[in-house]
Amino acid sequence: METFVVAMITGILVGGIYALVALGWVIIYKCSGVLNLAMGELTIIGAYVTLTFYTAGVPFIPAVLLTLVVGAFLGYLTERIFLDKLIGEPILAVIMVTVGLSFFLKGLVEFIWGTDTRVFTPPVFSIEPITLGFLKISPVYLWSFILSLVLLVVLVSFFKFTSWGLSMQATADDETAALSLGVSARFVYAASWAIAFMSAGVGGALLGNINGINISVGHLGLLVLPAVVLGGLNSIPGAIVGGITIGVLQNLAGTYLDVYFPGGVKEIVPFVFMTVFLLFKPYGLWGWERIERV
Amino acid sequence: MSSVWLPCGDYHQNYSQDQGWWQTTLIQFKMLTLLAVAFIGCPWALPQDWHWVAWVFAALGVVLGLVKIIADPPRLKGEWVLFPFILAVLLLYRLPDYYLSVLVMIGYYSMGALGVQLLIGYTGLITLGHAAFIAVGAYVSALMVLYFHWPRFIIDAGLAYPISIIVAGVIAGFWSILFGLPSAKVKGFYLILTTMAAQFITVDFILTQYVAQIGGRGQAFSLPPGTIKVGPWVIDSDVKVYVMMAGILTLMVAFVANLLRSRVGRAWVAIRDNDIAAETMGINIVTYKLMAFFVAGFLGGVTGAFWLSNTAALSPEHFPWFLSLWLVGIILIGGVGSIHGAILGSLFMVLITESLQWGVLPLTDYYDEIANTLDPGRFKLMLDWLVPKLLMDFAYIKEMVFGLAICAFLIFEPNGLSYRWWQTKNYFNLWPFSY
Repeated sequence: METFVVAMITGILVGGIYALVALGWVIIYKCSGVLNLAMGELTIIGAYVTLTFYTAGVPFIPAVLLTLVVGAFLGYLTERIFLDKLIGEPILAVIMVTVGLSFFLKGLVEFIWGTDTRVFTPPVFSIEPITLGFLKISPVYLWSFILSLVLLVVLVSFFKFTSWGLSMQATADDETAALSLGVSARFVYAASWAIAFMSAGVGGALLGNINGINISVGHLGLLVLPAVVLGGLNSIPGAIVGGITIGVLQNLAGTYLDVYFPGGVKEIVPFVFMTVFLLFKPYGLWGWERIERV
Repeated sequence: MSSVWLPCGDYHQNYSQDQGWWQTTLIQFKMLTLLAVAFIGCPWALPQDWHWVAWVFAALGVVLGLVKIIADPPRLKGEWVLFPFILAVLLLYRLPDYYLSVLVMIGYYSMGALGVQLLIGYTGLITLGHAAFIAVGAYVSALMVLYFHWPRFIIDAGLAYPISIIVAGVIAGFWSILFGLPSAKVKGFYLILTTMAAQFITVDFILTQYVAQIGGRGQAFSLPPGTIKVGPWVIDSDVKVYVMMAGILTLMVAFVANLLRSRVGRAWVAIRDNDIAAETMGINIVTYKLMAFFVAGFLGGVTGAFWLSNTAALSPEHFPWFLSLWLVGIILIGGVGSIHGAILGSLFMVLITESLQWGVLPLTDYYDEIANTLDPGRFKLMLDWLVPKLLMDFAYIKEMVFGLAICAFLIFEPNGLSYRWWQTKNYFNLWPFSY
């Protein structure tokens, strides 16, 4: 029982980070219809940028804020250079541009920062576990969860209450109508990429605190894909629920299944779950069902 | 409908003419020349004291030319006069081993890309996990060759590896059907995710954790020399691997091209263009989609089994997710929905990476020579850091170039190289009135 609760709690805490990255993914998809496979690389870039600032002597929180600025700039740049010209192209073309982008970014990251695992030195969070009754939680998880929760709230309220957020929602809902009301769709696309880069970057920085940063953080970034599929591609609450579910699933699998299937069962379970899940609910939990006509 | 330009006033009169392989003598001549280059010109050259054979061919060409000039029989087209001369030249020369090994890589990627082309380009099922099926094929074949207790006479006849190629294809095909099952319900992006799941489950989990451990040799299966044997030939040199590649690739292209001319191929294209419309026309889309997955998996399995002859040790690292994406990139660069596309795309990608290598190596040599003459300073410090790094981190540069190439092609040339090829061909076919 105790192990179960610990696995659940850790899962929820890590799931918070996944939810943050997944949210960035859903924002891009909602606003511009781009299915982004480069999310893992965005996560790595965020992690490395934060690390670079941190090793240069900037404290952690300002370093994360600086990462947000750099991420927003990079996101804007990416959208302008690569994706602006592809609006309205077939789905395969757009997906593959993001794949090409992911290769490019991955190569760039490996070229600049190398492939060795790097850790935040000195450690940002203390190693001493926090004890709550019988629960022992390492502070990295807790603080990451809190930080990503704060950012989630900020992002969601940005969407609900600011005029930029509202114009993004309008574009997602009906592009033509939004254009006729004076919303600049190009601005919205660029903004959605900037936001996605920002959320992925912070997610990467937090994930990097847990296990150190190397290229495999990008694989964790891929785990957002099962998460968004679970929630439905265009649902913001779906992304949050999906992210947390994937985190929990991973940790439960790591705790209970690892005995029977030693090895990388933790990385595989989300994908297996997703494949089976899609057989029964092809549009996820809250995704829009598309009714097709000839 | 056939896209061949016929001479003025010459029309197809029935369906079989319209779908024919070789519709004009010129096309037949070009195809035979291509096959002759692939099978005779590249790998073989006559030894010194057999050169007279080439001269015999040349003499035959002269005789044919005289017959053509003097008697001009209508069945003897001008192209056939040229053919013996071409054969004579091809018999005299061959490519060095290095170029053959480059061609082997091109062929390997083309084989893999053919399966992807079938799924993406002809059936509209986007897949990002094809390397999984190549890996399954490679491992099935390796396990059969290494651990299966073959009857003595099969080993003596050198049939173990050829049989294992077929079996590998079939097993990979069924494995592919397993991951194609969701395609009955989902499509588009959701299908992409299930194929990605195929990659991670198959390669990163099942193969790495379990299958690769069989025999207790750790990660890699080493293939002792002499195990890969086709008939009496042990596949141990670049030339033999090349001939294997050329043979399998030719068979595969013929197989896919033929399949696409059949009822099955037309059903696939109908599903690609609009699956709901296809269903109303009476096509069972689930059956045909699964059939596409089976055939693509089969081709992937054969590709993987072929890979054994080109490698000394097999490890799951040969089939990363990168390979799946690389294959999809190849068909995007080559052109979606054409068999040429798979081959042109892999030609382009392999040649680009090879020529990058040729570019970087002399650069570093040159820099080593001039490094001492440069003024010490910021600039030299930067070069000191950058130039060796270019060589060391070459794999990453390759990745970056590949990513940029995909993006550039999708943005500037969405129809791919095969469209350019088609345009160039038409320019010459319709010359001088190409408008």
